[in-house]
Amino acid sequence: MKKKENYWYLSILSILAFIFIWWLFCDVLKMTKESTLPGPIKVMETFIKKLSSTAPDGATLIEHIGSSLKISMGGWAMGVVIGTPLGICMAWYKKIDLFVRPVFDLIRPVPGLAWIPLMIILFGIGLTSKIVTVFLSAFVPCVLNSYTGIRQTKDVHLWVGQTFGASNFQMLINIAVPTALPLVMTGVRVALGASWTCIVAAEMLASTKGLGYMIQQARGIFRPDIIICGMIAIGVIGALFSWLLSLIENRIVRGAKHI
Amino acid sequence: MKNRFKDAASYEKMICAGISILGFLCLWQLVVSFTAVGELLSGPLIVLSKFVTSIAEPIGTYTIQLHIFWSLSRVMIGFALGSAVGIVVGILMGWFKIIDAIVRPLFEIIRPIPPIAWIPLSILWFGLGEGSKYFLIFYAAFCGITMNAYSGVKSVDPVLIGAAKMLGANNRQVFTTIVLPSCIPHIFAGLQIAIGTSWATVVAAEMVRSTEGVGWMIIKGQDSNSTVQILVGIVAIGIVGYILAVSMRAIEAKLCVWRVRGK
Amino acid sequence: MVNQEQIKVKVDHMTKRFGDLLVLNDISFDVKKGEFLCIVGPTGCGKTTFLNCITKLYDLSQGEILVNGEPVNPRKHNIAYIFQEYSTMSWLTVEENVAFGLKMKKLPKSVIKKEVDEVLEIVGLTKYKNYYPVELSTSMLQRVVIARAFAVKPEILLMDEPYGQLDVDLRFKLEDELLKLWKKLGTTVIFITHNIEEAVYLSENILVLTNKPTTIKEKLSNPLPMPRNVVSPEFIDLRNQVTDLIKWW
Repeated sequence: MKKKENYWYLSILSILAFIFIWWLFCDVLKMTKESTLPGPIKVMETFIKKLSSTAPDGATLIEHIGSSLKISMGGWAMGVVIGTPLGICMAWYKKIDLFVRPVFDLIRPVPGLAWIPLMIILFGIGLTSKIVTVFLSAFVPCVLNSYTGIRQTKDVHLWVGQTFGASNFQMLINIAVPTALPLVMTGVRVALGASWTCIVAAEMLASTKGLGYMIQQARGIFRPDIIICGMIAIGVIGALFSWLLSLIENRIVRGAKHI
Repeated sequence: MKNRFKDAASYEKMICAGISILGFLCLWQLVVSFTAVGELLSGPLIVLSKFVTSIAEPIGTYTIQLHIFWSLSRVMIGFALGSAVGIVVGILMGWFKIIDAIVRPLFEIIRPIPPIAWIPLSILWFGLGEGSKYFLIFYAAFCGITMNAYSGVKSVDPVLIGAAKMLGANNRQVFTTIVLPSCIPHIFAGLQIAIGTSWATVVAAEMVRSTEGVGWMIIKGQDSNSTVQILVGIVAIGIVGYILAVSMRAIEAKLCVWRVRGK
Repeated sequence: MVNQEQIKVKVDHMTKRFGDLLVLNDISFDVKKGEFLCIVGPTGCGKTTFLNCITKLYDLSQGEILVNGEPVNPRKHNIAYIFQEYSTMSWLTVEENVAFGLKMKKLPKSVIKKEVDEVLEIVGLTKYKNYYPVELSTSMLQRVVIARAFAVKPEILLMDEPYGQLDVDLRFKLEDELLKLWKKLGTTVIFITHNIEEAVYLSENILVLTNKPTTIKEKLSNPLPMPRNVVSPEFIDLRNQVTDLIKWW
C-alpha cells in the first residue's frame, strides 16, 4: 500500500480554510444577504445569544434541546425495549415468525415520519403523538437487526448446546443472544439516529417547542442564522449519541465481533 | 444436520401470512366499527376503496399515480446526482490520502446533520419549488453513499493489491481491476440505505412545503381531518418504498453475482 | 462374552435415510464401558452422520441406540461431542468456554469453578483462562474444545476428526494429551478419523466402515501396548491391514 504519511495538518487547514472562505464571502465581501446566508461571526453571536434569549420563538436553545431530547429518548427507549425482544423471538420461534412477520413486513417499508399526520389526528398535537411516531421509527430497525443477528447463530454452536443437553431457552440465552449482540447494538444505534431525525421532522410539522420547531419558525421570519444554530445543535447531539453508543457497544460486546 | 433456521415450506408460509394479515385487518375493521376509535380512524375497507377510486378521481389536483410520479421524479433526480457525486468523492477520498485529509473533516462535520434538518435552509436558498427538494435528496443520497464508497476502498484486501503489483500492474491498473470491483458491494449497500433515506426525505420535504406528491397527500389529509386520505397516502408510500428497496436489491444481484451466490 | 453391565453403547440395526439416499445400512455393534473405539472408513461414507445419530442430532430411520440399556437422550446421558468445525464461542473467555457444558447442566458455581480449574490445568491453559478465542492459536482453540468436553466428565465422548486440520507434531501432542485424559477419567470414547495412523495409535478397537450405503466391514482389536511406537513393525503391520480393508479401488 501507500507510504504511511500523516496529513493531519492538512485536515486542520481544511477546516480553517472553509471557515475563512465563508467569513470572507459573507462578512468581508458581503456577497450574500443576511437573509440567505449569514457569516460565521453572526452565527456564533446568535448561538451565544440564543442560549439565554427566548426571542423570537418563545424558548431558549437549551429549552428546545431539552424538549427534543426528552421526546426522542422516550420514543427510542420504548422502541428498543419492545422491538429488540420481538425481533429475537421472531427469529427464534418459528410460530411467531410465521404469524408476526407478515404484519411487520406490512409496516416496515413506511418511513417513520410518514406516520406523523395520522398520529396527530389520533393523539392530538401534544407529547403522545410525537412519542408514538418516534417509537415507530425506532422500533423497525431494532426488530430488523435483532432478527438478522439471531439468524447468524452458527449451527455448530447449537449442536454443542444440544449435545450438552441444553434446553431450547438455554440455547437462546447462552448461544443465540450473544451471537446477535453486535447486530442488536447496531440496531439500537440506527434506531437512535432514526428517532432523532423523526423528532426533528415531527417538530417542524406540529409543535410549539423543540429544535425542529425552532428552525422551521426561523425560516418563516428569514433568520438563517438561527436555522444554522439549530442545525449545528442537531448535528452535534446526533454525533454525541452515536459516539456514546459505540462506547457502550465496545463495553458490552466481548471477544471479536465476528469470526 | 438439522438446520434450525430452515424456512418453512412456501405454502405454509403463505397460509400463515394470509391468516395473520387478514386477522390484523379484521381487528382494525372491528375496532373502527364498534368502538369510539371509529370517529377518528377509518377502516381498511374504506381505505382500500378510496385507494382504488383515487386512481381515477384526483386528490387535490392530481390522481394518486401522478402524486406518486411527482415524488418519484424528485427522488430519482436527486438520488442520481447524489449517488454519482457520492461515489466519485468517496472513492477519491479512499484512494488519495491528500484528498482524504482535506475533504473528510468537512464531510464529517456535515454528515451528522440529518437531511430533514436541511429543509428550512434549503427553502431559503432554493425557494419553495423543485430546487429545494432536489437539493435535499441530493444531500441525503450523497452522505450515505460517500461513506460507503470510502469504506469500500479502505477495506480492499492489501494482499490482492500486493499480488497485482507483483504481477506488474501499475497504480491505474490496480485501481480499475481491483479497487473498483471490490468496493462495488459496499457502494450497493450505500445505495440501498440511501434510496430509503431519500424516499423518507422527499415525504418530509413535501409535508413541509409542496403542492403535490405523497407527502403533500398525507399532510393535506391531516389539515382536512381525513384519515382516509392519510392512510391512502401511507399505503402508497409503503408500496413505493418497498418497490424501491426490492429493485435496488435486484440490480445488486445482477451486478454482484459473485456475492449473492456465496450466500 | 461381554457382561451386559459393561456395555455402554449398544447400536442396534441403525439405519438412516435422507429421502431416497440410504446412508447407514443396518449397523449393529457394542461399545464397552471405558473403551476407546476408532471408526475409520473411506471419504464420504457417512462417518459424521453416524455420530450425529448417536447424539440425536438426527433421528434414525430404523433401529435404536441404547446407552446403559436406555434410548439415548442428551438430557439424561452425559455426552460430549467434539465437532470437526472450530466450535469455541467467540464471546466467551477460555474459562467460560470450558465451563459452558457444566453451565448448561446447571451445576452450582463452586463445582463449575473447581472442575474448570482442574481441566484447564490438565490441558495447560490455566495461564490463558481470561483470553478470548480470537487471541489464541488454532491448536489452543482445539484444546479449549477438548477441555470443554472433558470438563463435564462425560460418560461418552464423541470426536469427529478433531485433529483433521492440525499439523503433524501438534496432532501427536494432542493425541497423547487425549490418551492421558482418557486413562485418567475412564471415559468411553468414539473417535472418527480418516487418518489410519491416528486410529492405530489411539484405539483399543477399530471399526472399519464400507462405502455408502455404509455397513461395518470389520471390527479389529488393537492389542499393541501403549505407548505405541509408530515405526515399530507391529504398528506398521496393523496399519497396513487397516489400509487394505479401507481401499476402495
